[in-house]
Amino acid sequence: MKQFGKLGGLIPWIALVVLILIVGSFDTTFLKPATLIGLFADSATLFLMAIGMTAVIYIGSIDLSLQSIAAISSIVLALLIPDYGMLAIPAALLAGVLFGGLSGVVHAVLRLPSFIATLAVGGVVTTAALYLSDQRSIQIDAQPRLDTLSWAIGTMFGVPNEVWVSLVVLAVALVIEQATPFGKAMKAVGCGEAAARVAGIDVRKIKIVVFMIAGLFAALSGVVLAGRLSSGSPIIANEFLLPAIAAVVLGGTSLTGGTGGVLRTLVGTLLIAVVRTGMTFVGVNVLAQQIVFGVILVAAVALSTGRAPKGVMK
Amino acid sequence: MLDLKEITKTFGRVRALKGVSITVDVGEVVGLVGENGAGKSTLMKVLNGIHQPDSGTVEINGKTETLRGPRDAAAKGIGMVFQEQSLIANISVAENIFIGNEAQFVRFGRIDWKAMGEAAKRQLDKVGLDVDPRTITSELSFMQRQMVELAKVLTLEEAVDGNLCILLDEPTSVLEQAEIDILFGVIRKLRERAGIIFISHRLDEVIEISDTIYVMKDGAVVERMMKADATPERIHHLMVGREATGSYYKQDERRPPAEAIALSVQNVSRALQFSEISFDVHDGEVLALVGTEGAGSEPLIRSFFGLERTHLGKIVYRGEDITNTSPGRAVAAGIGYVPRERKIEGIVEEMSVQENICLPLGGRLTRFGLFDFPAIARKTAGLIAKLRIKTPDGSTLCANLSGGNQQKVVLSKWYRTDARLFLLDHPTRGLDVGAKEDVYALIREMCAAGAAVVLIADTLEEALGLAHTVIVLKDGRQTARFDNTGPTPVTPLDLIAHMV
Repeated sequence: MKQFGKLGGLIPWIALVVLILIVGSFDTTFLKPATLIGLFADSATLFLMAIGMTAVIYIGSIDLSLQSIAAISSIVLALLIPDYGMLAIPAALLAGVLFGGLSGVVHAVLRLPSFIATLAVGGVVTTAALYLSDQRSIQIDAQPRLDTLSWAIGTMFGVPNEVWVSLVVLAVALVIEQATPFGKAMKAVGCGEAAARVAGIDVRKIKIVVFMIAGLFAALSGVVLAGRLSSGSPIIANEFLLPAIAAVVLGGTSLTGGTGGVLRTLVGTLLIAVVRTGMTFVGVNVLAQQIVFGVILVAAVALSTGRAPKGVMK
Repeated sequence: MLDLKEITKTFGRVRALKGVSITVDVGEVVGLVGENGAGKSTLMKVLNGIHQPDSGTVEINGKTETLRGPRDAAAKGIGMVFQEQSLIANISVAENIFIGNEAQFVRFGRIDWKAMGEAAKRQLDKVGLDVDPRTITSELSFMQRQMVELAKVLTLEEAVDGNLCILLDEPTSVLEQAEIDILFGVIRKLRERAGIIFISHRLDEVIEISDTIYVMKDGAVVERMMKADATPERIHHLMVGREATGSYYKQDERRPPAEAIALSVQNVSRALQFSEISFDVHDGEVLALVGTEGAGSEPLIRSFFGLERTHLGKIVYRGEDITNTSPGRAVAAGIGYVPRERKIEGIVEEMSVQENICLPLGGRLTRFGLFDFPAIARKTAGLIAKLRIKTPDGSTLCANLSGGNQQKVVLSKWYRTDARLFLLDHPTRGLDVGAKEDVYALIREMCAAGAAVVLIADTLEEALGLAHTVIVLKDGRQTARFDNTGPTPVTPLDLIAHMV
């Protein structure tokens, strides 16, 4: 993005407005605020996972296990809600943190490339999810769902709670990224690991914690998803991984690490959401949409500047 | 047979070669010496066809040639033995020797391994290496691999009509004396059929093997001398020589150090790097480590900061054992390290001046876990003014600063954490004179404030200009210790006598 200067960060926003107007020209109801808010609400679970993915990509790594982590946390939630109520939520989130931490340890301590580490951990998590759920989806009954998950699936001031949750998460993530030593350490690890080390930053610790954070947000995504669908399932977040990575990269976070951030992932997610809705309007088969996301991802990475000298993935 | 005329090469703003002319005849060994960054490697890459010169000509056997790449260079009789070995570890010696040239052994679409093995054996005989060509390369010793590398280059003898030119880029840097003798024997035999360019940091070796020696400095040849006229001292002086002038190093601000010991290094060793090093650095003292490239000062200074492990001995910092510390703990204890590789370890280029300055802060200058931005901005502005960093403001990316200003950012990183021991590894590398003087002034100021400094200087003059004490290292061992505050000044020649 360097060659675009300060305008570089604006390009995704401009693209978003243009895309909304294009889809709106097919059907003007799309331009109503209610439709757009609904669109955001529907993308909230993807957004939460993409926030976690942003943290990992920001330090120059990648996490391919996040959809598996979302799935297992939805199952943990569904299994525990009948007996433990609210306590099921921290348990589900804890599962995400633990598996994320496991990926982090494999990557940072055993020094495996992150895509291998998280591919392997993702496989373990998927299998664990299948085992825990007995390979079927687990229903969450109406009453316990209302009691424990209304913060995620109700509405407040006429806006779906998914939107509020997303905004709170965005705000917290933005503050961590911009205003804490941890956020700056993440950035330093992402674009200058050697210099970060010499500055006294414990690079290993930063990496492990970032993977734990990614696991946490993936688990939160799984919890909200389970609330929306009234069930936990081992395949609940399938088809999330590619759009999540695409959302991060499309927003302008560099796969080589160190540039970008969560605010960019917001616009990236919205772009994905508009494209997805647009495809439905135009009549693209739902199954074919993954093809489009794949193409978008390749195009976004290929167009982003300055990736050649650093190699692609740590 | 090889005649380079007025070769120039520029990378961005850096003029790596400024009109270099070198002649190599058959039967001649040409030694090429210079500090890192003097342009030797660039010159080798030009000869190997990896870089194209911006101007100047390469003549081989009287004919002007354009070298389009290593293969093209090889076809014209120029072979290179690489500094970092280029052999592939998991295939056999014979395959390595003929890699890329297997076609000559193909019979009916398959490789005739027997013929290749026999041909490889003939090549190995040339360098006197008695190993089975079917051996997997990784099983060979380092020396044997170096010889295989040479044998590989010697396949040019059959492939090329006419004379050869062999480039040897630091072939001896990791060899033992006995192995070096073997290598030199091979080189002397080769001389009958080839011209040889020999690059090494070990000056005595260069003098021993070479007929003619070219000394390079800052991208130009500063002297061409015959073997008979060469001494290590003379070459060294030409390589690094820069006369100290007046109070350039702020000698008048050099104050006697205090009694308190800041850093005590007690018999530390690290396998293959340095051994049994002992010295004390006092508060307010500058201690310089000098030695030729690879003498061990670099890993030694890094070990004080936890970037290299030591195997034996003890490092004590203000009464606290910090042997095998970590950078995090070192920073917390008040140790600052200015690394040689400024762009890699010193600064994060894609972060702003302010962000870089904040990196070693840890949790300081925060309120409730969040940065206290007004306080940080004040600090940054203060440091920018104090160190005269030329930048529009604190939010400018370090990538957009000049080398000298980047180095000041690195220094300011440690200046503001209350560092009490500074480890400076080539702090003035690549800086212009003005920026250097600023750095010298800063070092004096640190000492006046009671900090201790361990310095690896860019030149011997710089080391002597700044230091109270000079420790000389040679091949990882401490060969001399000079008190530089006595009545008779220590000279670079005194140091060189213990370095080479």
